[in-house]
Amino acid sequence: MRGAGALLLGFCGLALAGCAAPSPDALAANDPYEPANRQVFGLNQQLDRIFFIPTVQRYRTLPEGLRTGLHNVLRNLASPTIFLNDVLQAEPERAGRTAARFVLNSSIGLAGIFDPATPAGIPYHGEDFGQTLAVWGAGEGPYLMLPLLGPSNPRDMAGLAVDTFVLDPTNYIHIKDHLWWDAGRQYFNFLDLRSQSFEALQGIERSSVDYYAALRSLYRQTRDGEIRNGAPPPAAALPDF
Amino acid sequence: MSQPLPLARRAVLAAGLLAVAPLFPAPALGAADPAESFVSQNIQKGLVLLNNKSLTAQQRRDQFEQFLIGLADVKRIADFTLGQYRRSAAPADLAAFEVAFQNYAVAVYQSYFSKYAGQTLKVVSSTQRAPADYIVATQMIDPSDHSGQPPLEVDFRVRTDTGKPVLTDVAVGTSSGGQVWLSLTQRDQFVAFLGQNNGNVKLLIAHLSDLAKQFKS
Repeated sequence: MRGAGALLLGFCGLALAGCAAPSPDALAANDPYEPANRQVFGLNQQLDRIFFIPTVQRYRTLPEGLRTGLHNVLRNLASPTIFLNDVLQAEPERAGRTAARFVLNSSIGLAGIFDPATPAGIPYHGEDFGQTLAVWGAGEGPYLMLPLLGPSNPRDMAGLAVDTFVLDPTNYIHIKDHLWWDAGRQYFNFLDLRSQSFEALQGIERSSVDYYAALRSLYRQTRDGEIRNGAPPPAAALPDF
Repeated sequence: MSQPLPLARRAVLAAGLLAVAPLFPAPALGAADPAESFVSQNIQKGLVLLNNKSLTAQQRRDQFEQFLIGLADVKRIADFTLGQYRRSAAPADLAAFEVAFQNYAVAVYQSYFSKYAGQTLKVVSSTQRAPADYIVATQMIDPSDHSGQPPLEVDFRVRTDTGKPVLTDVAVGTSSGGQVWLSLTQRDQFVAFLGQNNGNVKLLIAHLSDLAKQFKS
């Protein structure tokens, strides 16, 4: 009950924080909604402490083989969406690798439980419609901290919606209780992602002077690298010092 | 990724620098290969140091501090991480911040790189992004990892504009293909912290000192 009360107070604070003017530093960081974003971040951290971290810690007690198998299955299920985004970004070689991985892992890999494609020299790469929009020239827009979902921006939010409701082929396959299928898949995607990054995030939080700003910086730098497909940043992207 | 340094401590650090300087040969300037040699020769020494089980925890910390000071331009990095607040900081606060940042960086980087202590650094390539400014791309090879997963990619930014190669930043690759530059992340954090605290550098210094103590304990 105490946790629920704290969350309710948090939502009230969020409504008020949305009225606060952003600081010059926030505007310079393209984070004009920083006061509200920090409130959402605070709520997300409370949800983490009350629910998500204990859940992820219990999940991490499962045998590593089981967790790896689930990780592989989830990645394999995302392959068609990744393939479509490779095509939309006019990356035929990457699209070919994604297709080869899907075929190999779905067959020899037993519906994606195993990943024979990686040791065969076809490593995984991710793509999403947010990256596709960036490749097409869309700017990221202001930084946003979303409830539950964490760091984002308008471009990536739109991209997530397109991936989830348009590009994902399972939307067009008749699955009984499709809503439960979607919810279950998203839940396990979330568990898998949090489990993979659990220790890294703990280390970052522990060493951070400002954890909110650290995550904002990490999110932006990581996304920029993903959009460039890991290529080095242009010379002008790194500050001179 | 949180008091002016006494003269006696400056002398000790300077002596330490001179003592370890022969370990860090200054290669010829003006080409990408010397930056690669600098990274290849020196970073591996750091990994070996962190993996040296014959040292006590205190010895490892002290030697890693000397190693980092000799390798990286810590003052330049510290001043960069203050962002626009560097201009308005009092000279005494700036000096105290540089000390606090050094202690924080040594504690955090030792904790971070200890995870890779048993690994081998492999230089992959290098590019010259500007005169006297190089990016050296490397991979951390874990001999015990047989999963087939790609190795961790780490980039080092090497500057040679002061006459000898120094590190000014490190970028760590993420599993999704992204890359995170540590000095940039620290600057973004410190500027945000100062923005939330009326530019109070003393508060940042205290926070960094607390964090350094937590990592050392």
